[in-house]
Amino acid sequence: MPAKLVVEGLTHHYPDEYTGESVHALEKINLEVDEGELVTVVGPSGCGKSTLLNILAGLLPYREGIASVDGVQISGPGSDRGVVFQEHAILPWRSVAKNIGHGLEIKGMAKEEREARVKDFVDLVGLSGFEDKYPHELSGGMKQRCAVARTLCADPVIMLMDEPFAAVDAQTRITLQEELNRIAIATKKTIMFITHAVDEAAFLGDRCFVFSARPGRLKAIVNINIPRERRIWADMNADEEFVSSRDEILRLVREEVSVAVEE
Amino acid sequence: MLSRSNLNRLAAFWRHFPAANAVNLTLIIIGIMLVWLLISNTIENPARYLPSPIQVVLSSFDMIYKGLLPSYFGDTITRLVVGSSIGLALGIPFGLLLGLNRTVADMFYPMMNFFQSVSGIAIFPIVVVWWGNSDKTVLAVILYTSFFPIAFTVLSGVREVPLRYIHAARTLGASRYQIIRDVLLPGSMPHIATGSRLSIGFAWRAVIAGEMLAGREGLGWMIFTGQDADKTSEVILGMVMIGVSWIILDHYLLRPFEADTIERWGLVQR
Ligand SMILES: Nc1ncnc2c1ncn2[C@@H]1O[C@H](COP(=O)(O)OP(=O)(O)O)[C@@H](O)[C@H]1O
Ligand SMILES: [Mg+2]
Repeated sequence: MPAKLVVEGLTHHYPDEYTGESVHALEKINLEVDEGELVTVVGPSGCGKSTLLNILAGLLPYREGIASVDGVQISGPGSDRGVVFQEHAILPWRSVAKNIGHGLEIKGMAKEEREARVKDFVDLVGLSGFEDKYPHELSGGMKQRCAVARTLCADPVIMLMDEPFAAVDAQTRITLQEELNRIAIATKKTIMFITHAVDEAAFLGDRCFVFSARPGRLKAIVNINIPRERRIWADMNADEEFVSSRDEILRLVREEVSVAVEE
Repeated sequence: MLSRSNLNRLAAFWRHFPAANAVNLTLIIIGIMLVWLLISNTIENPARYLPSPIQVVLSSFDMIYKGLLPSYFGDTITRLVVGSSIGLALGIPFGLLLGLNRTVADMFYPMMNFFQSVSGIAIFPIVVVWWGNSDKTVLAVILYTSFFPIAFTVLSGVREVPLRYIHAARTLGASRYQIIRDVLLPGSMPHIATGSRLSIGFAWRAVIAGEMLAGREGLGWMIFTGQDADKTSEVILGMVMIGVSWIILDHYLLRPFEADTIERWGLVQR
């Protein structure tokens, strides 16, 4: 079966209008993501992870290379690619239910059908009872649950997540990671999850793409062969596969961080 | 003991009762009335310089009896409502449309800034040249006065809607129209609220000044002619009517609107 997401030779420079120089953010990225796979992308800060995600989301135009979903070249935002942003990007003027149903509303789905679907996703992310609350009445973790549900509810082909749990406290982050794993099992979604946290990358990924320091290159791919059902934080430190994958990713990332520091 | 925190708690408790607010307000009004009464009783010729509240109330009875006060009040309110509704109805979409495109917005920004600073009173003479001392003149000035502040505020507001909200809607597949409806319009609601307040406030001033200058009957005219006729109590009555109507308008129209939108959404804290 052909891959869901294909990226070939993707290179990106940000022009700088003031100095005339440009920032070389991505260099010849080649990668594929298969259907139902959850891949994590990890790399030092500033290595171009968000740049890659914004290009795939269609929010950032690119000139060099190819990026396509289901064989269709990416040329702008579209509901086939759902995005969960790092900062809270759910709309403050919509209730939880209205935020989650927004994608369906945009597609023009009838109200009854929409509300039934929204309810499923409210339940899936554990926000039952909060449907009529507004974002400012939610905790950070609940806001991100709402953002995840909003993206899932629009039923994208692939879900792109840019460090979605980076801004919540450590305890909540662990819960959210386990919940995302459960959601991945339940929905079988194709997901690209960006993070700078190595244990998060190892815990969530079927595969982990490790990026080099800027300009971002795909430095290595680490396979993490742990069945999703077994991925529970309480068991992870005793799991040899998890520990070895995590240490491998950590080693690869450390090399890059030290390179970045020496430069 | 009434410690500071106890006092705060009492105040918070008190604030939850509209009735308590009404009591507070009544106490304040009675206080002002007493001071006012005291002053007008100590000065010479109070009928000319500062008639007592009782005289003002009496003259209001007189004017209501003659049917003048309701008619002036009705005229002024009609002008205000018609003028500022049209001003807002045109100004909000205009500001929104200009704000959509960065280049267009930058182009129009100085012009909008210019007109929102030239007050309605300043354009009055030229409008009189065009249309004479007519209702049309007064309305045009009100419309002008309410249009530019709201259009300018909304224009700035649209540009301040965080990009991440627009991105979120775009990645859900929103069309340009859907982005305007679901993101930019609600996102500039704090500015629309502030701008409306500004606009209606300015329109209030413009209607009063317009009536004075153009000699059209209404509350502004009443204040103006009251001074000519040496009826100071009518001047004060006009002032009080203006202030009270503004408070009522604010309390029953603007505040509930804000409470249902920007406060409910947590965009402003009170
Ligand atoms: N809009 C932009 N204009 C210019 N340079 C940018 C822009 N966005 C990001 N960059 C630069 O590109 C590099 C990669 O950024 P980013 O993709 O955000 O990295 P990451 O998400 O991995 O931390 C950084 O050096 C950053 O400073
Ligand atoms: Mg980033």
